Amino acid sequence: METYLWITSVWGIYLAAIVFFGGMAWRIYEWSTTPKSPVRLGMFPKPKTKLGRFAKLMKDTFIAPQSAKIEPTMWIFAFAFHVAALGAFVGHARLIHEFPFLPELLGEAGMNTFAAWSGSIAGVIMLAGVLYWIARRTYGPFKNLSVPEDYLLLFLLLGVVTMGDHMRFVYGDIVHAATYREWFLSVITFRPEIPHELLASNVGISLGTHMLFTNLFLMYFPFSKLIHSIGSFSSNLVRSE
Amino acid sequence: MDAQQLTTLAGVIDKKMNRQLKQYIDICARCAICKDACHQYVGTGDFKYLPARRAELIRQVYKKYFDKTGRFVPALYEARDPDDNLLDELYDSAYACTGCRRCMYYCPFSIDTAWILSVAKAILIAAGRGNEMLGQLADAAIFKGDNAEMFNDVMISGFEDIQEEVRAITGNPESQVPVNKQGADILYVALAGAHSIRPAAVIFEEAGESWTISMFEAANYGFFYGDAEKARLITKRYIDEAIRLGVKEIVVPECGHAYRVAEFFYEAWSKEPMPFKVSHILEKVDQYIKAGRITVDKGLIEGKVTYHDPCQLGRNGGKFEEPRDIVKAVTDNFVDLTPNRAEQWCCGGGGGIVAMEEFKDVRLASGIKKVEQLKASGASVLACPCENCRLQIEELNEVHELGLQVWQVIDLVVAAMPLKGKKPMQA
Repeated sequence: METYLWITSVWGIYLAAIVFFGGMAWRIYEWSTTPKSPVRLGMFPKPKTKLGRFAKLMKDTFIAPQSAKIEPTMWIFAFAFHVAALGAFVGHARLIHEFPFLPELLGEAGMNTFAAWSGSIAGVIMLAGVLYWIARRTYGPFKNLSVPEDYLLLFLLLGVVTMGDHMRFVYGDIVHAATYREWFLSVITFRPEIPHELLASNVGISLGTHMLFTNLFLMYFPFSKLIHSIGSFSSNLVRSE
Repeated sequence: MDAQQLTTLAGVIDKKMNRQLKQYIDICARCAICKDACHQYVGTGDFKYLPARRAELIRQVYKKYFDKTGRFVPALYEARDPDDNLLDELYDSAYACTGCRRCMYYCPFSIDTAWILSVAKAILIAAGRGNEMLGQLADAAIFKGDNAEMFNDVMISGFEDIQEEVRAITGNPESQVPVNKQGADILYVALAGAHSIRPAAVIFEEAGESWTISMFEAANYGFFYGDAEKARLITKRYIDEAIRLGVKEIVVPECGHAYRVAEFFYEAWSKEPMPFKVSHILEKVDQYIKAGRITVDKGLIEGKVTYHDPCQLGRNGGKFEEPRDIVKAVTDNFVDLTPNRAEQWCCGGGGGIVAMEEFKDVRLASGIKKVEQLKASGASVLACPCENCRLQIEELNEVHELGLQVWQVIDLVVAAMPLKGKKPMQA
């Protein structure tokens, strides 16, 4: 298990980080060096002021009210998934530094309970979102429209979320944030080590697999449709040009 | 098709590439939220009309030839050649598309499928598979521009006939349809056919406007055909005329795409700033009514009146309120369609599809949403700018026995004007 963890949760992270950040930089470079369309592609209603355009951009990108209107079910799953993913991402910041104020407010046990609840909710919502999208791609026009890229991404996401949930629901009471923080801080400070607590319990398998999927997911991210995470800002801005 | 041909066709994507197109292709998540936005997909249920699918065909070729990841693992993206199979489907999806951009309105990333399909049309043209009818109409328009003197006499005599009709309507023997009037304020670029000139002339004359009529028509089949150069040449005919006459403003007729071409596309095509203002005729009419330059009486139009936003004029042109204000000025019995304005359903007749007989079935099937809207409104009169919309809705009116009177907005205005002459028949 120690070798598995060194590959997935130490060296794999370094590789994924290089590919992810390099890939995103390459993607942004490609976009920014391609000349803009000479035709204004905006549509109406169009805000007249810069501030109005910015506000509309934020609304269209983060809320997508038009999409909500035309397909509410899809929108609810998509919105919930993205919010949960953001929550999970913020929650993972505990791996670097304990949140300020919250532990003083809740006490150490209270903090762990809070994290358990919020992490569980986010984990369940993300799982529901991924399962919904997989199900959606199995029939009718959605199936016909899907290409292997779509399934690959959902498969990787399913792996990330399932193993994350596994750690949360099975080992949540056994291994706490401090242990993971010790491991993660050692990795990002380039003095990698794997804490004894991780090796002592089977959580190592979950963590290793969670990280395996996460690394693969992040490495493919810049080369997939997931760059809508950055591209949607400029494409939505074009809407009011 | 040999490899050389396939590479040449794929190369069209590279030639047309720009940042927006690249991002649209790169970020589409194939979530298919667009499916219920498209009147053709909703009306037919045919997969090839699903907007994301239409764009997907271009993406598949792009992935195969120009995207590093697509070249590395083509199977992941179903990357493929622009072979005959692909071109067959592309032809239907590109030329059937009315360019209404309702899919873009609902897309969470605002992906402009119509813009992607402009590349599709360029590929089809490069393959010698552009729509023949649209290509011929475009070429005929360019020919007319190159040989304007050949058409001079027949145009002028046509305008004289219309002038007589205008005088009969206004009851004013001084009313004119001015031709080649140097230094006029406005050049009015109409459509082929007296119906787009007569009511406009009545309004201009009654408003005391300084105007002159263009020898050319505003319709642009080069735009529908998908050839930017042809489209530019067709527009350039009246731009040059406007420069020669020294006008201050070009006014385009009710036609939707004519406005979009003049206001949004021409500068990009010609790479020169437009030396004058472009206005839509309904903007002018709205101003005349509000400024009291023409008088309209309510009560002369009978029945409940509704209004259809042509996509190129509304969602893509931003003229939502001016036409409504005009209609509300001539009747108190106005009802809006639901949905309306930016969410208005495309009638199914845009993008040149009414000129292509081969798409008649999908065109009529795609009008079902419009028919439902019209029925639900309970209106008996429809004010409808845009020639293509009107042709389509008149046909839907007949097929579905809606019993609707379909009017140009400027005809409604003339019918509501207290004029000394005889009332004109509706166009």
